[in-house]
Amino acid sequence: MTQTINESEYPKRIQDTNNGENQLDIEILIELGNIGAGKATTALSEVVNEKIQVEVPRLHISPPHLVPKIFEKHDDIMAVIYMQLRGEADCDILLLFEVEEAKKIAAMMAMVPLEELDPETETSAIEELGNIMIGGFLSAIADFTDTNMVPRPPQLVKGSFDAVLDTFLVKQALTSEVALVFDGSFRRSSSEAKGIIVVFPSVELQKILINKSREWLT
Amino acid sequence: MWTQLCQLLFPINTLGANWNKPPTIDSLTAKPPLTAQVSLPSSVQRLDDSAITEVRVDMADMKVESRPVTLVTNVGSCVAICIHDPINKCGGLAHIMLPSSKITQHSYLPSKYADTAVPALTSAIRRAEKSNCGLTAKIAGGANMFPKLNSSTLNIGMKNVEAVKEALANKGIKLVAEDVRGTYGRRVAFNIADGSVCVKNGNGEIKKI
Repeated sequence: MTQTINESEYPKRIQDTNNGENQLDIEILIELGNIGAGKATTALSEVVNEKIQVEVPRLHISPPHLVPKIFEKHDDIMAVIYMQLRGEADCDILLLFEVEEAKKIAAMMAMVPLEELDPETETSAIEELGNIMIGGFLSAIADFTDTNMVPRPPQLVKGSFDAVLDTFLVKQALTSEVALVFDGSFRRSSSEAKGIIVVFPSVELQKILINKSREWLT
Repeated sequence: MWTQLCQLLFPINTLGANWNKPPTIDSLTAKPPLTAQVSLPSSVQRLDDSAITEVRVDMADMKVESRPVTLVTNVGSCVAICIHDPINKCGGLAHIMLPSSKITQHSYLPSKYADTAVPALTSAIRRAEKSNCGLTAKIAGGANMFPKLNSSTLNIGMKNVEAVKEALANKGIKLVAEDVRGTYGRRVAFNIADGSVCVKNGNGEIKKI
């Protein structure tokens, strides 16, 4: 009997959290992500000197353990650049490329043919790409909301999609039942492989960004 | 007697309860109840199921199988618990996320937490065969994917591994093999037929435990 009561309480809690961030707040966060993703992909376009096609970014509000189902890339091996925001508000930003695609971009950046690319150059080139793109992402948001957003140095990890993502989902699950995930995907016009920007903003950061943006709106 | 008959015919109470209950996240995502049909090892059934070779276990999920399939999951700092019954050739895999269900007051997914996943998994396997003897466990995962960032929250993999070992010891299940810690993600493939676990890490190296 107690179990049934608890079960009916559970969705209420989730609804509460969803209602707490009302539609305007969600739209603000999507728009901020959109601005950031636009800047990041522009930076990538300048680096590789090519047109970049961007998909409409999405914001997911779901229990953390269901997030891998959104992407459906369970076993794909990805090169992931991870950057964490430095400061009072915590935020994890991931930039994911398929391994081959990351290698191609690294070769373009190092201006060497793909076959002559050594692993060290590849790693540092991809980390630098992370710096450029995520730096662009953050500076666009920081300019718009007049906040101070400085990331820690990037770190490159290779692994299957689910395995890399689960560290961050565990982190989200520690603090709340609901994870807010922003994702924006893009691809070079001459390539089929998609790159993805995934952002896990913490609750504090969401509040800061929403408050700053509301000042603009009013 | 009449009331009993009425209740039998019209189980209003239960109906009403279900009707009033809003759809929960659990009910939306819930899998059908775990049924391992070990009692029917007919060759016909096995032939029918032979088309299915891999069954994916999602995050915070658990699956019990008696068919000779491979349960597959990907773990980083999560831990995959593979419990095998070598006598009846059945077993299950649970993908746990967090060490303790005490972190939240609302723990609805037993397979999400180390301390609740082990009892749930053993009872699901035992439901199939009604005996607890001879169960063996293999675990994999619990990595610290980002060692440079020495953050306590990101090193939850270690806590997960310890919690799983404790839970297994509490249930009296023998831990026969493990591939834990490290700084890389793992793809875990648990073969129900022979109980072997293939662990493939991010560099593509395959290790059989």
